[in-house]
Amino acid sequence: MKKFLQNKKLLSAFIIVIVVLVVLGGSVSLRKKRNTPLLIQSLGNDIVALGTRIVDVPVGWISGGLNSAHDILNTQEENNHLKREITNLGQTKVRNSALEKENRQLKSALKLKDTLSGYTLVNASVISRSPDTWSDLLTINKGSSAGIRKNMAVMCGGGVIGRIVEANAASSKVELITTTDESANRFSVQADAVNGKTVHGIITVTSNNNLAFTQVVDGRKLKAGTRVYTSGMGGNSPKGLLIGTVTTTTRDSFGLSDQIRIKPAGDINDPSVVTVIERQVAN
Amino acid sequence: MSIFRKWVLAIAMFVALIVDGICSFYLHQFMNYDSFGAASVILPISMMLIGLFDDTNDNEIWLAIGTGIVADIYFYGIIGIYTVFLPVSCWICQKVARFLPEVFWARLIVTLLGTTVFVAYDWLVFKAVGLADASVYTLLMSLLVNLGWSAVVFVLVYWIWGNLAQDYPFLIDLNAYRV
Repeated sequence: MKKFLQNKKLLSAFIIVIVVLVVLGGSVSLRKKRNTPLLIQSLGNDIVALGTRIVDVPVGWISGGLNSAHDILNTQEENNHLKREITNLGQTKVRNSALEKENRQLKSALKLKDTLSGYTLVNASVISRSPDTWSDLLTINKGSSAGIRKNMAVMCGGGVIGRIVEANAASSKVELITTTDESANRFSVQADAVNGKTVHGIITVTSNNNLAFTQVVDGRKLKAGTRVYTSGMGGNSPKGLLIGTVTTTTRDSFGLSDQIRIKPAGDINDPSVVTVIERQVAN
Repeated sequence: MSIFRKWVLAIAMFVALIVDGICSFYLHQFMNYDSFGAASVILPISMMLIGLFDDTNDNEIWLAIGTGIVADIYFYGIIGIYTVFLPVSCWICQKVARFLPEVFWARLIVTLLGTTVFVAYDWLVFKAVGLADASVYTLLMSLLVNLGWSAVVFVLVYWIWGNLAQDYPFLIDLNAYRV
């Protein structure tokens, strides 16, 4: 022990390792516990985000140009698909309008102000992504000043893609739904089974980064193609946000419960513009 | 202007940090092979090149620490990934540069080794704190993909950082030594 204390290089290295571990542990703990980041952290993030938005402008032009060229090549195929869809659109709009009116009347009759399905939208652009392959974190250009709070659901391309994990004043971090973060809040979801009953569960990530609908009581009643959407029961997301569709149903490796694979509805690989969902019902 | 010259390298590192995040976002789809992905390593390669090109300036360790803290907070919200790797890699590169031949290929090998260590360290920290859970097999395959991308990034930024580190060393005004 005396030799160790006299060896200044070894002692310094030991102290540095201890300091690094303490700072790492402390910052991870802060990240998980705090609803809002520290003022200095928020300020630093917003300054870098501002720089990113400036550099992002010319890069966005180039990327947008390339995407436009790609879109032109796919125009014919897309046009044919839209023509098929548009034939059903008129009827769907009329039915939707009638249902909305009926819904308002029923809520009014029951004196309901907020329900699990109530929410407002905040649109934002993705400006950056974490450089590593292990954490699925995006940075968006809207923050708490636009009403964004921690744990709000984030959508892109028609489905949920993740959740807000940090809201600074003018920027926020989004953790994708495919994250393997042990402390991430999981989406509480539901789906309609073939027998008409509603099946509840949560969304988890399998070892090969696929989404799975787990903790399901009887998943074999879910057919391939069944839509899985948020149930609003988790306290953070409203009801009715599409997560994806069922692809296969298998038993887990222990044979004890059903493992239902889900094809994500959201654009997880290339989310350039996202929508943050602000739940209206009181938590 | 002399103050500006002293801080050129710091400004360049700030821009590198921003470009790292933007490249990661736009090139994410192309940096994946099957289910294995490469990390965007512009920032670690930049810091290692600074250490290799300017092995006598101790101020660059402080630059590495500062850049590391900003990068960690901006990208992850936790401190201990870039904050540890950037100064350590810069210090090691400065030591290695004293006996390493000052040629492109020698520096490429050191940088590729460095980025491999960086990705492995990144994986270890995320696994230890529970923020991500990838298998050892995924790590090994990702390291291979990463080597290819690291070589590409190295070629693209080698001359930029070579000129910046030699002409604008951090917190040193070379004009003060010129007559």
